[in-house]
Amino acid sequence: MAVPVTTPDRPARRVGARHFVRLKLRVMGNNFRGQGWRIALFVVGVLFGLWVAAGAFFALAAPGLAGEPRFALLTAAFGGGLLVLGWLLLPLVFFGVDETLDPARFALLPLPRRTLVTGLFAAALVSVPLLATLVAVAGLVVTAGALGGWAAALVSVLGIVGGLLLCVAAARAVTSAFATMLRSRRVRDLAAVLLAVLAALLGPLQIAVLAAVRHADWDRLTGAARVIGWTPLGAPWTAGVEVAEGRPWAALVKLLITVAALGALLFWWSRTLESAMVGTATAGPSRQRRGPAGGPVAQLFPRAVGWARRDRFGALVARECRYWWRDARRRANLITIAVVGVFVPVMVNLGGSRLVEDGGQAFDGTVPYSSPVRLSLSMLFVGVVASVTLANQFGFDGSAYAANVVAGVPGRLELRARMTAFAVYVVPILVAVAIILATLLGRPAWLGVMAGTLFAAYGVGLAINAFVAVLGGYALPETSNPFAMNSGAGAAKGLLTLLSMVASALVAVPMVLAAALLGGAWLWLALPVGLAYGVGAALLGAYLAGDVLDRRQPELLSAVTPRR
Amino acid sequence: MTDQHPALSLRGLAKRFDTKVAVAGVDLDVPTGSFYGLLGPNGAGKTTTLSMAVGLLRPDAGQARVLGYDVWADPVRAKGLLGVMPDGVRLFDRLSGAELLAYHGLLRGMDPAVVDQRAAELLDVLALTDAGRTLVVDYSAGMKKKIGLACALLHGPRLLVLDEPFEAVDPVSAALIRDILHRYVVGGGTVIFSSHVMEVVERLCSHVAILAQGRITRVGTLDEVRGDRSLEEVFVEVVGGRTATGEELSWLSR
Repeated sequence: MAVPVTTPDRPARRVGARHFVRLKLRVMGNNFRGQGWRIALFVVGVLFGLWVAAGAFFALAAPGLAGEPRFALLTAAFGGGLLVLGWLLLPLVFFGVDETLDPARFALLPLPRRTLVTGLFAAALVSVPLLATLVAVAGLVVTAGALGGWAAALVSVLGIVGGLLLCVAAARAVTSAFATMLRSRRVRDLAAVLLAVLAALLGPLQIAVLAAVRHADWDRLTGAARVIGWTPLGAPWTAGVEVAEGRPWAALVKLLITVAALGALLFWWSRTLESAMVGTATAGPSRQRRGPAGGPVAQLFPRAVGWARRDRFGALVARECRYWWRDARRRANLITIAVVGVFVPVMVNLGGSRLVEDGGQAFDGTVPYSSPVRLSLSMLFVGVVASVTLANQFGFDGSAYAANVVAGVPGRLELRARMTAFAVYVVPILVAVAIILATLLGRPAWLGVMAGTLFAAYGVGLAINAFVAVLGGYALPETSNPFAMNSGAGAAKGLLTLLSMVASALVAVPMVLAAALLGGAWLWLALPVGLAYGVGAALLGAYLAGDVLDRRQPELLSAVTPRR
Repeated sequence: MTDQHPALSLRGLAKRFDTKVAVAGVDLDVPTGSFYGLLGPNGAGKTTTLSMAVGLLRPDAGQARVLGYDVWADPVRAKGLLGVMPDGVRLFDRLSGAELLAYHGLLRGMDPAVVDQRAAELLDVLALTDAGRTLVVDYSAGMKKKIGLACALLHGPRLLVLDEPFEAVDPVSAALIRDILHRYVVGGGTVIFSSHVMEVVERLCSHVAILAQGRITRVGTLDEVRGDRSLEEVFVEVVGGRTATGEELSWLSR
């Protein structure tokens, strides 16, 4: 049999973006194969996204439908700008970026950088969040069409297409740049601080926006919208409005701004992409640390848990403590807790009292501002957010959890140790949150209520999340990128998180009820009661979930082991 | 009472993943004091079998007993007698070598002083002391195998189950691992390990089982299995491999 000899010097067919898109669709499809629950979660995620998107659609289409040209620029500039910011920051702070197609996998293929960037970019466009965003910003087309006719609608379509591309490019470029920084151990600390600052900006920004809305000075607000409209944040979204207002030249310039920004982001991304690709090959410098001498056992125990007995429980706690600090993925979670823990209560209580007098704040509109109830609610939120980090605590370990299975660690012991180790980091954060807030509010007397509610919510959350982690653990990809997550797990992660947060909040609600009903006495009772409630709930949770864990150890292990 | 029992006894172990049968009923007795080699081509089900034998993977059917204790019914007793080095499984690799050993020792309920002494000795023998406080994640592949072996040996198990202990290990480290395992067996321990490196198996093992497509096809002492041929010949014959004729892949030579 004669085999045709082809020389590999010139590839017979060029590789294009469609190959990457098909590859991504194939990988996503294979992820679902034979996994009914994943499909179900995916569908739920899609429906939820579309539901939110439909709401945003009507909000953005409202000025057009109501025939109010006055608000068209406002909604387009502010709504669109928030969208871009969301795409920019949310992957960093909360969700992570879909690494279905890990750039490092393409490092050995003879692909020009241009092909790789366009291909990966095209693959990144295949995503549910983008679909939801598309539905939402379609409202802008409706507005532009209603106010300015077909020409405006057409320009608006061009604008939102450019805007959507901008959103994806921004998310990719920023996460890629951060991932590259975080891969090398030396700058990881610096990057963590940067990340925290970046996330912290979200809070003041929101306060500023609320202040602007509150003071409802329409002229000044329109002025701000005009300025935003000329930045890449607002340019793509406001192009249609410009046509409707009779300034086609402005629309053209805004489209050019969008294209330029898109080009710059893609260029930036392609630069960081290259270092991300080689980054895995040289997985960072080996760390030769000269620590204090001492036996292996003494080395295992960090100073913070020096009190622990040198037994199984102590070893588990010590190992978990080391991991919360050394694992970039876990540390990113700790930073998120600290930032959210400080800013959300500040926004709800300080911002709420000064800025939102129309009861627009989500929590309650009837109770006077910064009451113990409002405070308790925000503390409840912080405690729940802090504990939800453990919703996939076994996923952090991945296949390494096999060591504990082989050693036959009892489930109750395992869960108690994990809770203890996490508390070593989180309890100081929670105490700091309570103290900072009490100082900012000038109400030291409420310290007990705050700390008590925090501990109660946190303890209850630990208990709920013990169950979630044992029953719903899922694998995280084994990369050094702390923002990476599997595409199939995206919906699962979101839903599990939501579920456990709602459940934890419900169980912790008695603390808020007590704050509403008991009045003055609660100021003194809250701390001991909350502490007892939290500790009791956590212990009970570990006791009951530990029993489940004993029966499910091998199943949990295979659930958190990444498939290769 | 445990001495009448084989060190490891598998009865009808079976596992199916979705539609693919990974292990289709494995019966195996590993006599106490033996050095047992589990041979098989890639995908034969070696890792699946050993995972089920040590309690990492729940079998669809069958039993696994360690010195008479059922791994799935009485895991505490069985796991206490076991030392395991799984393959393709991460260690808790963000600990240094010493920290990892301390963790494993304490997890097995050992006395801290004994852990310190044995861990230091193991690190010394395995030439890992120089790594200092380097995290295991930054170790080379061979060093990871060695620290994994140290973790399995630390608590002095009666039965050592090793999955591919010689894969990706340089000859110097391989010789070291061989010596340690040999001494362990001479001292009364039992080893079962999986491999597809024939030389190692021929040099070390007293007993051999060949696993192909989820079934044990040959089993017995080394001499019984290979007869007067080389183990490799028997293996290729049993597994049913093919050899290249020279016709195909002609484009490989220009």
